[in-house]
Amino acid sequence: MTKVQLKGVRKDFGAFTAISQIDLDINSGELVALLGPSGCGKTTTLRMIAGLEVPTYGHILFDDDDVSEVPVQDRQVGMVFQRYALFPHMTVEKNVMFGLKVRGTPKAEIEERLEEILDVVQLQQFRHRFPAQLSGGQMQRVAIARTLITKPSVLMMDEPLANLDTKLRGEMRRFIRELQQRLGITTIFVTHDQIEAMELADRVAVIFDGKLAQYDAPDALYQRPNSVEIADFMGANNIFAAQISASGLATAAFGTLQLDRDIVTVREGAGRILLRSEAIDLLLEEPDGENVIEGTVEGREFFGATVNYTVTCGGEIITVNEQSRRLVEVGQKVWLRIEPRHIWAIRDDA
Amino acid sequence: MTQPNTTELARHRRERMMMWLQLTPVLLVLSVLFGGALILAVMQSLGFAPWFGVNTFPDFSYFGALWGSWSFWQSLGLTLYYAIVSTVIALVMGIFLALAMVRMFPCKTLYKYLYKLPLMIPYTVGIALAVIMLGNGGMISRLSAFFGFIGDPSEFPQILKTHYGWGVIAVYVWKQTPFVTLTIYAVLLGVGRETEEAASILGASKRQIFFQVTMPQILPGIVSSTLIIFAFNIGAFEAPFILGGGFPDTLPVVAWRYFNDADYTLQLQGMATVVSIALIASIILYSYLAFYRRYERRIGRN
Ligand SMILES: Nc1ncnc2c1ncn2[C@@H]1O[C@H](COP(=O)(O)OP(=O)(O)OP(=O)(O)O)[C@@H](O)[C@H]1O
Ligand SMILES: [Mg+2]
Repeated sequence: MTKVQLKGVRKDFGAFTAISQIDLDINSGELVALLGPSGCGKTTTLRMIAGLEVPTYGHILFDDDDVSEVPVQDRQVGMVFQRYALFPHMTVEKNVMFGLKVRGTPKAEIEERLEEILDVVQLQQFRHRFPAQLSGGQMQRVAIARTLITKPSVLMMDEPLANLDTKLRGEMRRFIRELQQRLGITTIFVTHDQIEAMELADRVAVIFDGKLAQYDAPDALYQRPNSVEIADFMGANNIFAAQISASGLATAAFGTLQLDRDIVTVREGAGRILLRSEAIDLLLEEPDGENVIEGTVEGREFFGATVNYTVTCGGEIITVNEQSRRLVEVGQKVWLRIEPRHIWAIRDDA
Repeated sequence: MTQPNTTELARHRRERMMMWLQLTPVLLVLSVLFGGALILAVMQSLGFAPWFGVNTFPDFSYFGALWGSWSFWQSLGLTLYYAIVSTVIALVMGIFLALAMVRMFPCKTLYKYLYKLPLMIPYTVGIALAVIMLGNGGMISRLSAFFGFIGDPSEFPQILKTHYGWGVIAVYVWKQTPFVTLTIYAVLLGVGRETEEAASILGASKRQIFFQVTMPQILPGIVSSTLIIFAFNIGAFEAPFILGGGFPDTLPVVAWRYFNDADYTLQLQGMATVVSIALIASIILYSYLAFYRRYERRIGRN
């Protein structure tokens, strides 16, 4: 419904620069996750979009219109605060109705929308309680309901699922996704959980130290990170120094691997290669063909559905993740094989 | 459930003993100095004063004489008028100042010291300042004459010593606004800005935010600070004595006049006045508190 753009936005708090430079285009109806470590400026970015904070430099545009002069009340945004910010002196019901009441919505409509949203967030039985009488997860759902009931055209959520248990979190994720798609609300979602970001978002904006480090679809971010830091943050565990040749060969301590030159734009020089642990085959007999590394199983971590092996190969340790349909013993000699298209390379000067 | 063993029980008993021991000095002071004095005052106002050779206890004639005279009710009205008007003005100004102080503005640190200044200056100094500034022949009248707003300082409108009590109210407000500000500012800091921000995003106007979100949350601060300043205002003596408009006086001044009378039997009449002040103040403050407690319970706090 609303396209949101940040153009060269910077935010200083006194001498401290919270956001040094962010350019971000969020399409109408898109769900974007802001992902980054604590203190990188995610909340500050949301607050600027909401109008609670004025950018030191740069512009924020809604549907190509600069909203600098539009007061918070008129931006038609919704925000779920990291610490909920519920009204402590109002019951769940009153909290949820607040946004409609202050906007003068007819009483019958308020009632109707209230019932609907309370059902959705499963808070019917707590409707007469006060925030102080709720658990963290219940408060979070009140905060979500209070925002959603106003049908904002841009919805911002600051870690809205952080306090929920796994099952409820799954339900809320599906609920948010479904509602977001049904209503086409442009949604910006803050999280520091990369799994959650990838599951929910159309695109993920990774922010490091007040800078936009990468803005891409989840699979691109996961498979083709721009930098080692992003790869690391996205949970990659096989990052190795390698010498890359013009013909697309990467030579690391454990051997030489062929890269896929359609995927990696090969440039000669020192760099890092990234092997996705789930894309590596663990073989008990030496196979034919290229991209095979010989090693010994050093350790095994069993997670139930999957199992992680740490394999020493020529002085480096490679982690392999596979479905636990079999278990390989520690100390076993193994061969690792990885297809060229599953290898990603980052040059050191990138 | 297993019973706690006996050493546990003994330890609990010892702890309770300790608690009472620690409380005893306070309780003693309270009951002897305050409670004893209160009982004596009530007894004296009911005619028990053998040291003056008067003992007609129980004798309601002092209260009868007091409450039966029209001037008592005039004095009461005046007392309540000064107390209520100055409390309300100090409250409104205090809220505004406190709200301003949680926002950023230049020179905030300097301002944070400045506004507390009246708190540290005694009432009497404030009264003297009022005389110097607001009196006929005071600074403001002279300045007005100097700038030609009025022909002569004596033409300056009477501010002090009238029954409008602008001087009294000015001194109370001057002294008590910082106190209200301080109290509400502390509460506001605890409340934080987030609920206001959430309300503004939800579409509430500044007015709606103040009345529906901020005010209910700072109510404890409002109630406790107004309770204290109102209780003070209703019993204060110096300001209405010096800056008031003469007869009819406020009740504390009336009491003082009785106590100071050459006829010492009038002391009992004075006691009756003091007890009346205490009675009225407690009724008002108690109803105020009860009203507030009811509100608190209604919104689910207890
Ligand atoms: N009002 C402020 N004044 C000064 N510094 C601030 C202010 N608000 C935020 N900061 C600083 O700006 C940086 C970014 O803060 P922000 O709240 O945006 O982080 P975040 O990415 O949301 O972190 P988290 O995941 O922990 O919530 C932090 O270093 C923080 O200390
Ligand atoms: Mg944050």
